[in-house]
Amino acid sequence: MPSVRPISPTEHREFLASLPSASFLQTPGWAQVKSEWRSESLGWFDDDGARAGAALVLYRKLPRLNRYLAYLPEGPVIDWGSDDLAAWLTPMVAHLKRQGAFAVRIGPPVVTRRWSTAQVKEGIADPDVRLLGQIPPAERTPAGARVVAQLHELGWRHQGVEGGFAAGQPQFVFQIPLRHPDGAQRTEDEVLKGMNQLWRRNIKKAAKEGVEVVRGGREDLKAFHDLYVHTAERDHFTPRPLRYFETMYDALRADAPERFTLWLARHDGDLVASTIAIRVGEHAWYSYGASSTEKREVRGSNAVQWAMIRDAIDAGAAVYDLRGITETLDADDPHVGLIQFKVGTGGEAVEHAGEWDLPLNRPLYKAFEVYLARRGG
Amino acid sequence: MSLTLTVDGPRWRAHLEAVADAQPGIVPVAKGNGYGFTLGRLARRTQWLADRGHDVRTLAVGTYDELPEVAQRWHGDLLVLTPWRPWVPLPDPALAKRLVHTVSRLADLRDLLHADPTARVVLERMTSMLRHGMAARELWEAGDLLRKHPGARVEGLALHLPLGQGTHLGEVTRLVNDYVAAEIPARGRPEVWVSHLTDDELATLRRQYADFTVRPRIGTALWLGDRGALRVTATVLDVHPVERGEAFGYRGRTAPKSGHVLVVSGGTAHGIGLEAPTGEQSIRARAATLARGGLDAVGFVRSPYAIDGKQRLFAEPPHMQASMLFLPHGARVPEVGEEVDVRVRYTATGFDRVVVTD
Repeated sequence: MPSVRPISPTEHREFLASLPSASFLQTPGWAQVKSEWRSESLGWFDDDGARAGAALVLYRKLPRLNRYLAYLPEGPVIDWGSDDLAAWLTPMVAHLKRQGAFAVRIGPPVVTRRWSTAQVKEGIADPDVRLLGQIPPAERTPAGARVVAQLHELGWRHQGVEGGFAAGQPQFVFQIPLRHPDGAQRTEDEVLKGMNQLWRRNIKKAAKEGVEVVRGGREDLKAFHDLYVHTAERDHFTPRPLRYFETMYDALRADAPERFTLWLARHDGDLVASTIAIRVGEHAWYSYGASSTEKREVRGSNAVQWAMIRDAIDAGAAVYDLRGITETLDADDPHVGLIQFKVGTGGEAVEHAGEWDLPLNRPLYKAFEVYLARRGG
Repeated sequence: MSLTLTVDGPRWRAHLEAVADAQPGIVPVAKGNGYGFTLGRLARRTQWLADRGHDVRTLAVGTYDELPEVAQRWHGDLLVLTPWRPWVPLPDPALAKRLVHTVSRLADLRDLLHADPTARVVLERMTSMLRHGMAARELWEAGDLLRKHPGARVEGLALHLPLGQGTHLGEVTRLVNDYVAAEIPARGRPEVWVSHLTDDELATLRRQYADFTVRPRIGTALWLGDRGALRVTATVLDVHPVERGEAFGYRGRTAPKSGHVLVVSGGTAHGIGLEAPTGEQSIRARAATLARGGLDAVGFVRSPYAIDGKQRLFAEPPHMQASMLFLPHGARVPEVGEEVDVRVRYTATGFDRVVVTD
């Protein structure tokens, strides 16, 4: 049975470097981005003392109490294929309890179901289908099912979400596979062919209009941020401060330079779109995006996405991850536009096992749930 | 002369067809006393449903001993609901081809596949009922075992859910997930065989698991679902006036007041007068049962026989094939040969005759 102890960020970084990939939310750099929470790197070691797993724990303090929710977003990074998850989770929970956790929240990075582009499109077109879960998936993964079964068995509770985004990480994401089932890298041409006509037309149009997509440096974050604040006003969400992105830039790039890339799409010198891409090993994410309201017709957003996808292919990534979608396929739901945009890339909708809680102190956990409900999640 | 179940044929058949239409893939259940109709009749009726084009491919019986009652009258597949155990002899090859075994323990699966490597099975997963079934991990091992037996034919996952206390869907989702985890080799679409789900629950299940075939096992709601089509009657065999204090019957009881003693058909041989525990769980229902038992010691007990719509008391405990009722003075006295209504539990009653009207 592996043992668990705190490790240094360096050890943590070294362990992740030995894996094909891990969620960026489980990297030591992410701890600095989430500086409002106490954090800790944990390591699992087998009987021979060899590194076997790692986790980034964010300790979220309960108001006025010295007790914490121990949160492991999209983690921990352990062998989720094990039939004995108790051996991995039990020592971790014991450690977190000693650290003052009243509950533990994890997000096993395992896929439970997948839907093809065609299935998602049919679902949106069908007025009887409200949720992704109402259409038969192209695949239900036994490995994901085993994780779910074991978590139930061990007393963890699934944090259900219906429809909208949950407070935590999204259970449903949209991804473009960048490799064939046999492991061979897909070419740019193949990925482009998988996109719908609108996407292909827009990418072509941006090129014809002379949209230029370049990588930016830290000094360009201000330009990104200005456009992002503009986008936030237009699309009615609360923007994060510039400082947040600067921290992210510094922290993630300190772990590894490819972790954070700023992309800028310009037309005649005007910034029309700008995005942040993240990559950990074989996994590339589209993380944040901003676009101008002017000059939408030059299709800067499609151009910058295509640049990021090509870059991921060049880097030999296995997957390009457009991150969260809501489960809704209701044509009247405002979130459906986001899914339609992502579906145009020809990828697949992927369900993960979701977030799971293990209450360690039931009264406090109950109080925490009430508190969250009052805050509106 | 007899305890008779009269079935309004057109109405009953219309109900059966309506249920079969609403539940494609339905697995009719014929077990025990055949819900009062007899196993043979239900088997023939199941064949009739299939012949009329309804999606009925399998008939379920309760035990292996019931198979001979139905096997000649129904030509499709047969499912035995009681899980197979190693002491159950396997049927002849002709029947074996049609037979789907319920397997609820890993050891039994191993033994069964040893005895018949081409056996057809549904794998029963333990539910909150805690009766029969495998735990999640047993199911995973069953998957490992079945991958080594390519000749075996898994028909699906069997769930026996408790009677509706709230919704079952959360539990079903969890149990089906265990089946996915087990990677059970399937021929074609995987199937879930379930009972006791409401129509709404079945509809939701079919939507959420559209990649599965849902096979609802239905007994009571199918055969007894339209009570208005069924009538149970007994014959008045004799009528005797009695005065208060007059002795009668096997045990020489005395009449509490003047009236009539009626001898009607139906007795312990039919299940009449045997207190079968009811499904009622309320304190009141249980108190009433106790009170009835108490009455037995001192006086007359309410009988299931009704005359002119009023339930009458047993004059003494029922006999093998007839019962004595007490009819107090003032009530209309039925004639010998008249039919009176009887309220019975269909699953605990053996009728002398079942008459299905055209």
